[in-house]
Amino acid sequence: MPENENNDPILAKSYSGALLISSLLLVLSMFWALWQEFIGLRPWRHYQSEFASAYGKFLRSEFNKQKQSSEAVLNSPEYQKLQQAAKSAADAAEPQVKQIDQQVAFLNKRITALSPTFITARGEVTALIYQVEIAPSESSRKSRQDAVEKAKKGPFKVELPTPDGKTEQKSFTYDELLAEFDSLKNQKADLTLKRADVRKAADDAAKAAAAYFQEHLEGLTAEQIKSLQLAVQQMNVSIRQINVNSAGLVDRCQSCHVAMDAKLVPPTLVLTKASFGMEKNKDAPFTSHPQPELMKIHNPEKFGCSPCHGGNGRATNSIIRGHGRNPFWLWPLHHRENVEAGCQNCHASDMYTYYAPVLNQGRQLYRNKGCIGCHRYEGFDNEGEQLLSTRQLVRQLEQQKTDYELEMPRLSREGDKAQDNKTAQWFYAQAENLRVQTSLIDAKLDQMMVRSRSLLREEKKVGPSLKEAKMKLRKEWIYYWLENTHKFRPDTKMPQFRFKPREPRAISAFIWQMAVTGPALEKQPPGSIARGKELFESRGCLACHSIGEGNQKIGGTFAANLSRVGEKDNYDYLVRWIHNPRQRTRPYDPIARKDLGPEDYKKYGKDFIFDLDNSRSPDGKHELQVQQQTVMPSLRLTIEDARDIASYLMTQKHADQEYRATDFMDDPKLLDTGRALVKNYGCAGCHEIATLEEEGRIGTELTNEGSKPIERLDFSLLTEKAKRGVLPDGKPSMRDGEKYAEWYDHKGFFEQKLTKSDIFDQGRFTTQLKMPQPNVSPEEINALTTFLLGSVDLQVPKDYLYKPGDQRRDVQEGWWLVTKYNCMGCHQIAVGQPSSLQSMAMYQAENKFKLPPPLLSEGARVDPNWLARFLENPAMSKTDLNRNGVRSYLAVRMPTFSFSESEIRKIVKFFQAISSQPQPYLPPKMEPLTPQERAMARELFTHPAAPCLKCHATGQPAHDANASAPNFLLAPDRLQPAWTMRWITDPARISPGTAMPSGLFNLVEGRWVFSGPLPPSLKGYPKDHADLLVRYMFTITPEEQRMLLGRTPSGGKPGAK
Amino acid sequence: MWGDWHQLWEIVSVPDNVPIVALLFLVPFYTWYAFREAFKHDRLIAQLEGDAAMAKSHHRKPYPFKTGWDREVHVWPYLMRIEFLAAVILTVLLMVWSITLNAPLEEPANPNLTMNPAKAPWYFLGLQEMLVYFDPWIAGVVMPTLIIIGLMAIPYIDTNPLGNGYYTYRQRKFAIWAFLIGFLALWCTMIVIGTFIRGPGWMWFWPTQTWDHNRLDFAVNRNLHEVFGIQNRWVAMGFGAAVIGLFFAVAGYAMHRLCMATEFSRKIYQRMTLLQIITMHTLLILMFSLPAKMVARLVFRVKYVLVTPWFNI
Repeated sequence: MPENENNDPILAKSYSGALLISSLLLVLSMFWALWQEFIGLRPWRHYQSEFASAYGKFLRSEFNKQKQSSEAVLNSPEYQKLQQAAKSAADAAEPQVKQIDQQVAFLNKRITALSPTFITARGEVTALIYQVEIAPSESSRKSRQDAVEKAKKGPFKVELPTPDGKTEQKSFTYDELLAEFDSLKNQKADLTLKRADVRKAADDAAKAAAAYFQEHLEGLTAEQIKSLQLAVQQMNVSIRQINVNSAGLVDRCQSCHVAMDAKLVPPTLVLTKASFGMEKNKDAPFTSHPQPELMKIHNPEKFGCSPCHGGNGRATNSIIRGHGRNPFWLWPLHHRENVEAGCQNCHASDMYTYYAPVLNQGRQLYRNKGCIGCHRYEGFDNEGEQLLSTRQLVRQLEQQKTDYELEMPRLSREGDKAQDNKTAQWFYAQAENLRVQTSLIDAKLDQMMVRSRSLLREEKKVGPSLKEAKMKLRKEWIYYWLENTHKFRPDTKMPQFRFKPREPRAISAFIWQMAVTGPALEKQPPGSIARGKELFESRGCLACHSIGEGNQKIGGTFAANLSRVGEKDNYDYLVRWIHNPRQRTRPYDPIARKDLGPEDYKKYGKDFIFDLDNSRSPDGKHELQVQQQTVMPSLRLTIEDARDIASYLMTQKHADQEYRATDFMDDPKLLDTGRALVKNYGCAGCHEIATLEEEGRIGTELTNEGSKPIERLDFSLLTEKAKRGVLPDGKPSMRDGEKYAEWYDHKGFFEQKLTKSDIFDQGRFTTQLKMPQPNVSPEEINALTTFLLGSVDLQVPKDYLYKPGDQRRDVQEGWWLVTKYNCMGCHQIAVGQPSSLQSMAMYQAENKFKLPPPLLSEGARVDPNWLARFLENPAMSKTDLNRNGVRSYLAVRMPTFSFSESEIRKIVKFFQAISSQPQPYLPPKMEPLTPQERAMARELFTHPAAPCLKCHATGQPAHDANASAPNFLLAPDRLQPAWTMRWITDPARISPGTAMPSGLFNLVEGRWVFSGPLPPSLKGYPKDHADLLVRYMFTITPEEQRMLLGRTPSGGKPGAK
Repeated sequence: MWGDWHQLWEIVSVPDNVPIVALLFLVPFYTWYAFREAFKHDRLIAQLEGDAAMAKSHHRKPYPFKTGWDREVHVWPYLMRIEFLAAVILTVLLMVWSITLNAPLEEPANPNLTMNPAKAPWYFLGLQEMLVYFDPWIAGVVMPTLIIIGLMAIPYIDTNPLGNGYYTYRQRKFAIWAFLIGFLALWCTMIVIGTFIRGPGWMWFWPTQTWDHNRLDFAVNRNLHEVFGIQNRWVAMGFGAAVIGLFFAVAGYAMHRLCMATEFSRKIYQRMTLLQIITMHTLLILMFSLPAKMVARLVFRVKYVLVTPWFNI
């Protein structure tokens, strides 16, 4: 080694300092990694331990509270009495039980003594028998059988205990041993049964006491809380997950949202942030599910969390990732206001989803506001599509029939030419088969015709027919309306189109010139305005229509506000419309694609008559559209009533509104431009327009809009603003209290687009978006957004979809119709759903009985066959149409909707389904009345404490003037006896606020007894009084009723008891 | 829109782009460092060469340049301790990196809806950028193959015995410049362009320009023969081949002049066999064809020089 080696920098340089520092850094980074691994990436650890302490504290305070209240229950005399009864019953059974127990103990001893020998013997014998079974030869089989016999002989010696406590030695063969063992077991089983019998009374009494305690203690018992406390103490901090293999679902949401674990927080316990004193804490995932009812329907063990709520169920390492709010996660957690979007995943084919009011509102708006006019949505208003496919099927079937008819003679000829009989017969049989086939085709064709007839009736448009514009509307108004839609009628469902200058001129000219002109309307004399107002307000128009502006507005929101109808309508047309809104000026022939006039009928020598009964084309080949495509029903008013109402409506106008002359509307040069524009703007989606009846929808289909890739939603020049959380107006966007929240997502797109339909055209050189400005409030925008957010591709296994095949399907199909025709305008159909009329001033307090009946239990109340007839013809009469068939005393009119057969069927099934009625309905047999019973029933019927006919109508005008309930003569056909029974015993339970008095009968020892002073004849009658009355009601005849009317105190004020 | 710092930050902060941001600083730093060392040693070599005795004993190698220093040192501990230190520092770096930055996952693959811009991993962005200038056959297959072959060929065409085991510029000017142009100017620059400059639609966005998905550019790229108005296909092909041949001839001549520039290089050049010379020239000319094509494409809007039914150049 050279002596100056230290000078060599490679050898001399020390790296210890650098090594020390970097090693320290290495250790530090290792600790950092460990921290990250155990705490940083596992925030749920912190939440779980925080929950355990907070919940433990909550349970302690709850325990003290519950202990006091449970002591109160335990010390209550009722509980004491029950406890006493249980104790005495137990005491009574005690000696016998003791004796049985002793016997059982003795038997057990004997069994124990016998068992070892028995088991050994059985093992030996069965093993030898097996050897016999597999014996290779006959001789060896014999010798082995001998071995079995020998083994069975034993003898088996057993020391058996005797009742006196000693033992006896007994010797058994194998078969005896078996028998002894079985007999001991049987004896023991008998004794056990006997013991249960003896103890039954005591057990029942103890159960009754426990049940009483459970019922009278609100919340959890102290024991339950104790066990929960124990569960919390033993709770170990770990990932909690729901794993559903079949659905590919792994949800670890409960790792942070610990309170969702039913083992820790029972469903009966509702935890809010307030329960923990954490109201102010923004980040405390410890509340239990706010809708425990939903959790009962959707077992979390099957449904998990993320299929409904969105989010990334697998992620546990941060709130953002768990909620799926990180970039590129396709299904982020639904925001609070859109949470019901999750329901739509599986409930997409529902019309009405229980517990989801916002979603339901969205669906309803989508139909009612006419979104459906431009945007197809699977399952929504597809009568048009069905009609097309039906027509196509008809064409195919007709073609097939022609083919068969050509084929038949050929086959016969082939048969004639055949060489032998067998072949000939084969051909003849073929021809014969085809003949039968054609008859089957005929049957099918008939069905198709019925179906297409139904569909023609069912197909409705959102807006009114523009074919009648010329007869109905004031010419200048059309132009004004196009430009000032929302100004003229601030709550109209028609959206405001964004026309370019001069476009409205061409459109109004096109509409005006394409409209039909005749046959001319009948000239109508003016009616009484005052009477018209009264009729308008009382007949039920307000269930759908509103009237009055601003604060003065009253009525339903389903149909148009009629405040300024006088400015636009032609009086003669209005009279016809009110008299029968379905009446058309000319029928539409969907095959020839034109409106037929008298001249077309004349060609076939027919009169120009078309209505639902004469709906065939003049050549008799196919169905015509003979009705206006409106859901507005006929109220069956007389022409005088119609005139009065029309006269009243004609007074509804702004007198100072001026309309500019619009002579250009007669300019034929504008026709083609107008047609192109009307097509371009998709007017025919909502309106019936001549020559454009078969136009398709112009908008994009929205069935799966919620899962459209975000890149396909054109944010246009706002893309960057959306990504950076800046609203189009430059203000920061706000979500969940977060400023500058990114809105580059579906929610942001839908909300902005609905708020301002041309927002994404902003700044563009050429505008491309046609969507008009919808007339929706922020709340409605949220409902529609929720609906669209939920409209996604299939994300769950198919069997998760709500597609019930049972009565629940009838319910959904029914809701579709009930909302289509706005039955809820007049009737209450679901619990908690008020009708439009219900909230009106004129139906409050003592005027409640003037309301149309609630239909909550309609399916159980009426005979479905009757209901079908009633829906077909609510007047229940062929001649006198100006009346209500059932409730003649109501001013509100049950209108004629001209339902199609299939609609009637669906509505009837709907009402049966919501009342869980079996289908088909078989009327129950009723026990006939004996003459004595009939006399007794008469007494009851006319009893001064319950004079039925005081309120119920009889059909005699003088009496019915004061009636406030239906005629009894309808009952046998209309009502179901079981419901009637429930009704007369407690009507307020079925229909709160009804004029029918409750408490007419008292339940005495399992039968209903009249509660008024008992008429002498009924004293000692052993049967049910209410049942007697029902049976009588179902046999009442007009003569009988007239006779009874004489006996009844004369009618007083309706509703008075 | 210019001056969009938010956009720049968005690009820079993507975990995927962190290596490239680091590359922006590290590559110049190490280049500078290498040159500093090289120049230091060049001065040392000059000093040693001035000393006749030393020059003889050291064969132009600077180490060990002091008498008494060992000609060799042991691997353990003198090399291992430095390697160990480097390993520790690298481990710390990797740990911190993996804790702070997560794998940059993007949206699920959807063949019906591809991402825009769709970018290769950062180390392939140079190749992807090449697709702008050549057809996929050339840029995707021929060029990468040639790069690999060229790298493998280096030991066989490098006849310069100097510069092993120490930094030097003077003794390896040619190799260093070839590396600087090939790796820094072409490979790294293309990666940087691919990362920071190419936005939606693979359009050219300067830094701080907003990556606007709606942006529309108007640019007409024509094949060279079209520029000269040649219609006939065969004539066009002949013309293209001629242009490329001309490029090879001119570039080959320039390369030859470059090799003959100094006494030292002439000496090295003369040692090479013909095969070595041809290989080197071909590889270098091919390397220079990329910047040539880039200029033609970006400045003169020339799409292809040679268009054949099988491949385009």
